[in-house]
Amino acid sequence: MKLLQYIIQRFVMYFLVLFIGITITFFLPRLMPSDPINNYISQVQARAGQSLSTEATQQLRDQLAELYGLKGDLFTQYTSYLARVARFDFGPSFTYYPEPVIDILMDALPWTAGLLITTTLLAWLIGNSIGLIAGYFNKRRWAGALEVVGIILYPIPYYILALVVILIFAYWLALFPLSPTFLPGPMSWSKTVSILYNSFLPALTLVLAGFGWNVLAMKALAVATKEDAYVQFARLKGTTDRTRMTNYVFRNAMLPQITALVLSLGFIFNGAIQTEVIFSYPGIGMTMRAAAGNGDYNLLYGSIILTIISVATAALVLDLIYPLFDPRIRLGG
Amino acid sequence: MIRLDNIVATYTTQRGQVNAVDGVTLEIPDSIVMGIAGESGCGKSTLMKVLYGDIGFPLSLSSGSVDYGLVNERGEPVTTDNIRSEWFRHISYIPQSSMSSLNPVVRIRDQFVDFPATAGRKKEVLAQVRDFVQKLGLPPESIDAYPHQLSGGMRQRIMVAMATFFQPEIILADEPTTALDVVVQKSILLLLLDLQKEMRNTIMLVSHDMGVHYQITDKMLIMYAAKVVEYADTDDIFQSPLHPYTLMLTNSLPTIGDERARRGLPGSPPSLWEPQVGCRFAARCPIAADRCRQEEPPLTEYQRGHFSACHFAGDVAALKESMQAGPSLSEVAHDTSKLMLDLEADR
Repeated sequence: MKLLQYIIQRFVMYFLVLFIGITITFFLPRLMPSDPINNYISQVQARAGQSLSTEATQQLRDQLAELYGLKGDLFTQYTSYLARVARFDFGPSFTYYPEPVIDILMDALPWTAGLLITTTLLAWLIGNSIGLIAGYFNKRRWAGALEVVGIILYPIPYYILALVVILIFAYWLALFPLSPTFLPGPMSWSKTVSILYNSFLPALTLVLAGFGWNVLAMKALAVATKEDAYVQFARLKGTTDRTRMTNYVFRNAMLPQITALVLSLGFIFNGAIQTEVIFSYPGIGMTMRAAAGNGDYNLLYGSIILTIISVATAALVLDLIYPLFDPRIRLGG
Repeated sequence: MIRLDNIVATYTTQRGQVNAVDGVTLEIPDSIVMGIAGESGCGKSTLMKVLYGDIGFPLSLSSGSVDYGLVNERGEPVTTDNIRSEWFRHISYIPQSSMSSLNPVVRIRDQFVDFPATAGRKKEVLAQVRDFVQKLGLPPESIDAYPHQLSGGMRQRIMVAMATFFQPEIILADEPTTALDVVVQKSILLLLLDLQKEMRNTIMLVSHDMGVHYQITDKMLIMYAAKVVEYADTDDIFQSPLHPYTLMLTNSLPTIGDERARRGLPGSPPSLWEPQVGCRFAARCPIAADRCRQEEPPLTEYQRGHFSACHFAGDVAALKESMQAGPSLSEVAHDTSKLMLDLEADR
């Protein structure tokens, strides 16, 4: 019963966060002093000179208001906006008119999600394993060398790391293509191979950039945890190093790391922009950048709302899976 | 019988080396409850570490070894060198805080079967554990719980269950009831004592509580500044001590009907960083003489089974008489009321 109450609370919180986020996205642009319709019309007028009649201008204004969802008073706009967001209807893209924004986003989503979820998980697994070993055996000299990997990788800015990787693997060794070319058509074995092959370099940079932090964080957690009374008592019980490292130190030290993992999964669309631009990778990041560059408001709206949904969903998933790892939340205490 | 032969246990620190246990030679008979008492820093916890064989940086054994009077699976005598492989088979340990000594995110039953001795037969062992905890006054399903779901007393019962489940010959308990309230304390100690009577194991109990020592120990070891100062049957320790430090320690214990105010022991133990000359208690001892400040008293058997390290062990009885002539509580109370009256008058 307590668990059910917990789950209901989380879902209420989830929808509340979504509602607030979506509301802010609605009101924020309307606080800006510039009006997109006036901007557009003055552009058209500048191009058309005096040949545009007042009626034609008014007609254009009405059409644009309809298109942008700017018809009626603020409240009418707001309710129709909420109704459209609930149906994932963000209108047509301006750049790829008349293709609906949602279709463009859904085409790009699997690329970004596939690349970033895989690499985030990999970076987490590798980083935490190295950090755990480095922390658990922190008195040994070789364990210090493991930590150095994290110390060196962590502070390198992502774009420099990416350029170095491109330089080495695409230019000097020429093992991988500079920008990806994917086979067209339906999924097949050879297409899968080409996707994996072309995604290797961006994936490598993301793993390298992501796991240094995990090494440092996990090492610090493991060093502290292994001095805890229950680990010391387990040692006096005669348990093996392996048992203590996994069942005692890792089971406890991973809890904050799971929080970090799920939250970083929520932010993948933000991290996608740099990677996808550098590697010309056809995901959400590229779409967002193109939308911003072309003044494609609808597409931009869609991407921002997608980001809001993904961050909120990640937090919800975290809240729902955390009790599986920490019985103190599951069973109260 | 457990034999300790000139144990010197040394901590290596940045300041240099310090002997926390400095030359302890003892014979502990089997199947007794032995209490170890002394103030903080006297070396009792270090002695427990040495007894348990938990010796590792920064602690090292500069001299001596422990012979446990046991033989291991290969027929070799168990000593300091190989005691580690007997942990929780022949020697077990009850930690001070059960609250933090159990892994918070793992069920208790899983922490019962991660001993090397239970590898490969977890199911069978768990069935026995369920029966065993029931005998200890715990519901059998309590081992399915997580530590935070049990009360402090139940958790400490779990710790006692772990320490006694494999029926070890020796159990070390380092202040096992310090973190509990007195009612639970008593039940845990009685439980431990019952199990000891049944299994006939040797229990070494470290406690600050002289009342606990008086009630449950058979023999007592009194330590002061890394040395053993007295070792005797508990009754003798309390009735006819042969060391002034023991006398002052037991004298701090109030008894029902005794109205005299308790007197503390002024001063503090010597710093072990300094080289020690003579008796280490001399500076605080009411009967110290010049000899005490120059010559270190050896631990000597003054009566059968009663050891003391004091040049004037024979004078302690007289000291005890004199100390009992202190002001009674009612006199002190009377003084206080007089003081209050004086204060009133001043106003």
